Order: sequence, then structure tokens, then C-alpha cells
Amino acid sequence: MLPRAERALSDWLASGARGIGQLLIVKTGGFSLRHREDEARADLQVFRSPNDATELARLDDAENYRPLKTAPNLRHGWVLELADLPALRLALDLFYPGRLPALAAWEANQLATTPLRATLDRQTGMYRSAAKISDGEIDELVGRFCRSRGGEPGCLRTILWARDMTGARPSLRLPLDKFIAPVDQTERGEHVMPLLCQEACNLLVAEARKVVKDSSNRAERTGFEGSC
Amino acid sequence: MDWQQPESALLIVGHGSTVNPDSSAPSLAQAEAIREHGVFREVACCFWKEEPSLRDALLFFREPEIREVYVVPNFISEGYFTETVIPRELELEGRLTTRPGGQVWKYCEPAGNHPAVTELLLRRAREIAPGVAAAETTLLIVGHGTALNENSAVAAKREVEKISALDTYASVQNAYMEEAPLISDWARLTTTPNVVVVPFFISDGLHSYQDIPVLLGIESETTAAASQREVFRRNPHRHHGRDLYYASAIGTEPKFAEILVEQAAAFDTAALDLSPIA
Repeated sequence: MLPRAERALSDWLASGARGIGQLLIVKTGGFSLRHREDEARADLQVFRSPNDATELARLDDAENYRPLKTAPNLRHGWVLELADLPALRLALDLFYPGRLPALAAWEANQLATTPLRATLDRQTGMYRSAAKISDGEIDELVGRFCRSRGGEPGCLRTILWARDMTGARPSLRLPLDKFIAPVDQTERGEHVMPLLCQEACNLLVAEARKVVKDSSNRAERTGFEGSC
Repeated sequence: MDWQQPESALLIVGHGSTVNPDSSAPSLAQAEAIREHGVFREVACCFWKEEPSLRDALLFFREPEIREVYVVPNFISEGYFTETVIPRELELEGRLTTRPGGQVWKYCEPAGNHPAVTELLLRRAREIAPGVAAAETTLLIVGHGTALNENSAVAAKREVEKISALDTYASVQNAYMEEAPLISDWARLTTTPNVVVVPFFISDGLHSYQDIPVLLGIESETTAAASQREVFRRNPHRHHGRDLYYASAIGTEPKFAEILVEQAAAFDTAALDLSPIA
């Protein structure tokens, strides 16, 4: 029997899914992967090992590091030819780490999600202060940081976690589509596998800490100016 | 790698970085090497600051054939990450954690605790200063050091004791980024004409490639990442009337793949402390 992630991948492809995130998957003798915006290009540099995905995913077109692999800044200009389904799975695990297991768990109705407040309350060390972020600041931060297009850096995941135990959406600044699993977050409106987000990433936790720090620095400055 | 574990998976846990593209490279490279040897049914990495996260890893290895998961921290020492962050994020109850369904997760010792690490540090020191008389040389092993956990510096101290006992170098000392003795004080800490500095880090990431060179005074400001520069730094650097040699980190050594596997194998042979993680 196929491993669960490969089974999920195979089922999605059989259902006509064109790709995942910014990746186009084409069935050849094996599979070929490229940027969805490179579909019509014939001048692509050819790679053949699934492990090449590590390098292809590392930097954007301007050679800047991509700390968030689901950010909408996948580099262009390459095609990755893969022999079979296990190779495709390995490459996708490197392009979009952790997303296939999350998708497979979601399909099996076993994907537990964690509210943002629970993630923040769990932090220790330098990130402990992130839990002090207000609901209003969360609304602004998630709306800015996680948006699918035009974010800083933005992210193509579908958010499945709530703000807290009340089940509230973390940001009302994002379209409802951002929270609905099968929607193509690139806004091309195609049938693709979703990049599911079951829990806030460390980058968002780090940003929450920054928001709290900036806010407390501002309060201190205001207090100081007020006392003069 | 004769040890074969067809019903087990290996999870390599690294730190990763949101700013340095080289931080996760050793873990990814070693995972690739171990995968090719076919020791485990599955090999995966997860990172504190990159994807997949440690939380993502809770969704890995769902095949019923995988009865055991060996979790090996690709960290240089016991410390805040191995004692607090990794158990918390991976929901480990102790050295052994049984998941619903019966899969057992085995929490192994960090890579840096392996005895072969001493030889890797010595090899690095010899490689960067060929022909330099050890009797006129101080070897500085630089660790991170942190106020968050008193165990963080223990591994670096242990390596210094082991190398000192070999009686090769005129002096072997510890230095740290964030606690005394500080690496920025290297000129005051040493008296020999040659000083060889080996970072006790897994990767040539933010600390070993970008921060420590500034603290040593061989770079005036933080440079680009190692992979984004054309050449590695040229040794020696002439500072304070001394020849200063600076090495790259040890985690990319091919030998490190064996170390990660051996840390997993060691779990099954070690006398187990089954008490909960503090």
C-alpha cells in the first residue's frame, strides 16, 4: 500500500488537480514540476533529482532567501523532471515542507488545529512575551503577514486555526476564501491541492513578539514624554 | 551503516533560521545521505525556525508499518532547545513517548554528544592551519553559551577537556558568544603566536559564519551568508600581532550522517533514564 501522503497526492492528481501552491505538476512518463507561471516557457533549466528541490526552493528570483516556503515568491525558470510518485512526493516535501502530511491528515479527518492564543501561550524564552499581543494587533498582523497576495512576505496557505478558543477568525482583514481549504490561494482559480495551515508558524510567532515589543517601546516613549 | 530499521523512521531536528539560508543545509544534506543508505523506512527533518516545523512533524510517519520514530536533535549540546523547546513542541513525555496507536517516539541524545565529535573538531583545526606548530598555538572552541540554560556550555567544556588531555596544543580553551569568557576577548585570553578558532556549531549559519567573525574582528560588519559569497575566508588573519585561523562548522562533514544514525542506535543500547524531561 502507498504511504498516506503519496496516496493523498495520487488521489488529488487523479481528480485533475493541476498542482500545489505555485507549482504546476504535469504527468509525463513520470512527473514534471515547474512554476505555474512558466507553463508556456520552453527555455527552462532542467533538473532531475528530487533533492534539487532544496536549492530551487531556497532563494527567490532576486536571490533573496525564502525563510517561508509557502510565501508566493517561488523562483521561475526551471523544470524538475521526476521518475515516479515517491520522487514527486520527496520533491514536494522539499518545496512545501510539511504540507502533504497536513493534507493527508485533513483528508483522513485527523488534522487537529491549534488556536493562535494556544500557540503563543505555549512559548518560552524570548518568545514568551508574544502572548501579550492584543486581539486588535493580531487582526492587523495576520492580515498583513499571512495574506496570499501583497503580504510581507505573504503566504499561500489556507488558515485553519482560530484566534482563540472562541473560534474567532484571527483576522477580519483577510477574505473569507483565505480560511476555506480547497481555494486556489494564487487567485488563478484553478483546481490545485491546498497548502493547509493547522497552526501558526514560528515566523508569525516571531512577528507577534515584535509587535508586542514595538507597542511596549511606544508606550514607554509616550510615558516618558508625558512625564516631562 | 549496518544497523537497519525497516520499521522505524528517523526525525532529525535542527534549529534553522529565518535569515540565513545555510542554517538548515547540514540537516537536509545528512537526511539525504541517510535516506540513500536505506537505514530507515523514512527520514525527515524538522526545524524550530523553518519549515517543516516541529509541530508539522507530529503529522509525519503515519504508516502503520512505522512502529518507532527516533528523534535526534542535530544540536551541538544539551540545552534550552533539547530540554525545553523540542519536548514541548513534539509533545514528548520523556525519553520514550507512546502515541495513540502505539507508535513509540524515542528521544535520542543530541549529535554533539557523540564521541566522534572531538576528532571532527581536531580535524577542522588541522585543516585550516596546516604546518602550524601546535606547541605554539592556542585552540579556542567557541560555543553559543546562554543564560537560558546552564547545560548549553557543558558540551563545549567537555570537548576542551578531552582535547587538552591529548596534550597537542599549547593551550585549549572555551569561549562563548553570550557568556564569559567571551570570544570577542580572544586576544586577551591567549598568549601564543597562533590562535586557531573552531566554532562548535552544526552549521555555517548566522552565528558561526556571520556573528563570530565580527566578534573576532576579522570582519568589520556582518557579511552575506556563506552560500552567497564566492570564496570562504582566507586564513590566517593577522590581528593583535598574532596569526588567527578561523574554521567552518563541523555539521556538514559527511561523517555527521553516521553520527546521527549512531545516536539513534545508541538509544537502544544505552541504559535508559525513563524519567520525565525536566
